[in-house]
Amino acid sequence: MEIEVQLTREPIAAIIPPPASGLAGAWVEFRGLVRSEENNTEISALEYEAYAGMAEREMRRLIAAVSEQQPCLAVKVVHRIGVVPVGETAVYVGVAAKHRGAAFAVLAGFMDQLKQDVPIWKRRALAGLVAVAALRPLPPPAKRLAAGPARNAPLPLETALAHIHARIPPLPAVSLPLQDAAGHVLRENLVATDDSPAADRSTRDGYAILQTDSSATFCITDTLHAADCKPRQLGPGEAVRVATGTTLPCAGLRVIMQENAERTGNQIKILRSETATNVCRHGEDWQAGDTLLAAGKVLDAGALAVLASVGCTQPRVSPQLPVLHFTTGDELVPPTTSPQPGQIRDCNSILIRALLEKQGCAVTQQHLPENFEAAQRVVASLVPPAPTFNLVLISGGAGGGDKDFTRALLEWLGFEIVFDRVNIRPGAPLVFGVNGTRIAFGLPGNPLSHFVCFHLFVAAALKRLTGAEPDGMCSGMLAGKIEDAPNARETLWPARVILENRHARLTPLRWHSSGDVTCLAAANALIRVPAESGLLPAGTEVNFLPV
Amino acid sequence: MRILFFAQLKDATRCEAVEISTSSPLTTGQLWARLMAEFPGLGAHRASVRIARNCEYVGLEATFANGDEVALIPPVSGG
Repeated sequence: MEIEVQLTREPIAAIIPPPASGLAGAWVEFRGLVRSEENNTEISALEYEAYAGMAEREMRRLIAAVSEQQPCLAVKVVHRIGVVPVGETAVYVGVAAKHRGAAFAVLAGFMDQLKQDVPIWKRRALAGLVAVAALRPLPPPAKRLAAGPARNAPLPLETALAHIHARIPPLPAVSLPLQDAAGHVLRENLVATDDSPAADRSTRDGYAILQTDSSATFCITDTLHAADCKPRQLGPGEAVRVATGTTLPCAGLRVIMQENAERTGNQIKILRSETATNVCRHGEDWQAGDTLLAAGKVLDAGALAVLASVGCTQPRVSPQLPVLHFTTGDELVPPTTSPQPGQIRDCNSILIRALLEKQGCAVTQQHLPENFEAAQRVVASLVPPAPTFNLVLISGGAGGGDKDFTRALLEWLGFEIVFDRVNIRPGAPLVFGVNGTRIAFGLPGNPLSHFVCFHLFVAAALKRLTGAEPDGMCSGMLAGKIEDAPNARETLWPARVILENRHARLTPLRWHSSGDVTCLAAANALIRVPAESGLLPAGTEVNFLPV
Repeated sequence: MRILFFAQLKDATRCEAVEISTSSPLTTGQLWARLMAEFPGLGAHRASVRIARNCEYVGLEATFANGDEVALIPPVSGG
């Protein structure tokens, strides 16, 4: 029996195909949804917590126990953890069995036991902004027993990401012609409706004969070209002249390469025996029901070729996102200008533009004066107006006054501020706001903070908006030490990652303050350095985000 | 051994996990005594909590040694 069990922080796919074995006569599915009401209170989301290792193990044990009474073929369980918005699936169970009776029974039996034994909890119900206070990290342990580390929960970085996830709905999909769809995110599974190839095809120029035919000479009874299709059964001693790509007349054939046969009139003699059949078999590339591309895939050249080959010429994809980026700070001058004392060249604008365009966004940029009323006048005069943009970014200064400006401007634009600090460095004073389906970030002004906050938060938000697969953390080994005093905040350390014998090795880059720019050119990873780590020697296992 | 707290037990202890060491294996009663001395708030939950050792539920007769991962499991509410 096939058992698949998964805990995930991501939304559960809308369509989960049944197992492809062909043995099942029933595929029974259940989805438990988050309702908008919990204990007579209106809520926007539930937060689930799990003891992950044990939860997966218990689910497997329960499935094995329940299916002892009612034999089934396959069971798939996916349970969400973290914040699950109202209307989304919290738990999915699919059971395949020969007959529906057993499938229904296993499903019901498993769900009953799940609610008794599997260590998963509804941690809290979230009601709009109240949730923000409720989700603040728990205070540190009052005491420790003996010596040893105590882990505080939850990680502030994860909490911020959970809010971004919970507050951003994926945008409605659009249909685009293939030539315009590159770089867009596919929003539905591409499931094959037929087999490919539809029949056996030759991969060589030569002579098709029965696979089991041991005759010494063969009589050529027909000649087929690449576009011909003449189905019929071949007999012993019979050969058909074929070209590369020709659809073979029947199944169970092999093709003798023309170089390995000697033709005399209508007769051929095999000169050398071949081990290869030189046949591309029916359904070898895909079969009806196969998922060829999964929703969430960014359409690259290869994926577009797959869409074209099944005739899907108007795929459902995420729309292109218009993004509005404001820079602030009177000390900034354009890169074309020589800075006077006290001035610096603006490198954030091109940094953000390049990062956004790589994600397929359409970018509009505008510098704002530092006076709030003057900035409001500039924003009000924008064409198209600010509310037509899905995402608003403000590059502010690191100082408190600038942060107030960012908050005030976003609130004036109708955004509700969800959070305004994250417990990381660099990039702590990060502002996140939502206004319906529109979202905004206020980025702390330094270039490295921009780089870190973009990859951690803005990229995650873009992926959520477009329905793309989120980036996961990877693990690797430090190739050099990280020399740092213990810090109360988690640090995202810029690094260069290379693959060595298929293992990631990370060289930490020189970094003194969040104003450093030079490391940006080399950085292709951000190492997660836990709070209070201090010196990490070379060889330390670390988690990192590839960027 | 590492003791893990989940759901409302995290609120009661204000932490996710603690490390305790012992010279000889602890009985269930001894384990509770050690924990409640440090986290009196756990007392209110004791009757409803099940204990898992190394990811498996264990009965009252179980003992707990250094190196074990011990989880206090309050009533579950998945699904």
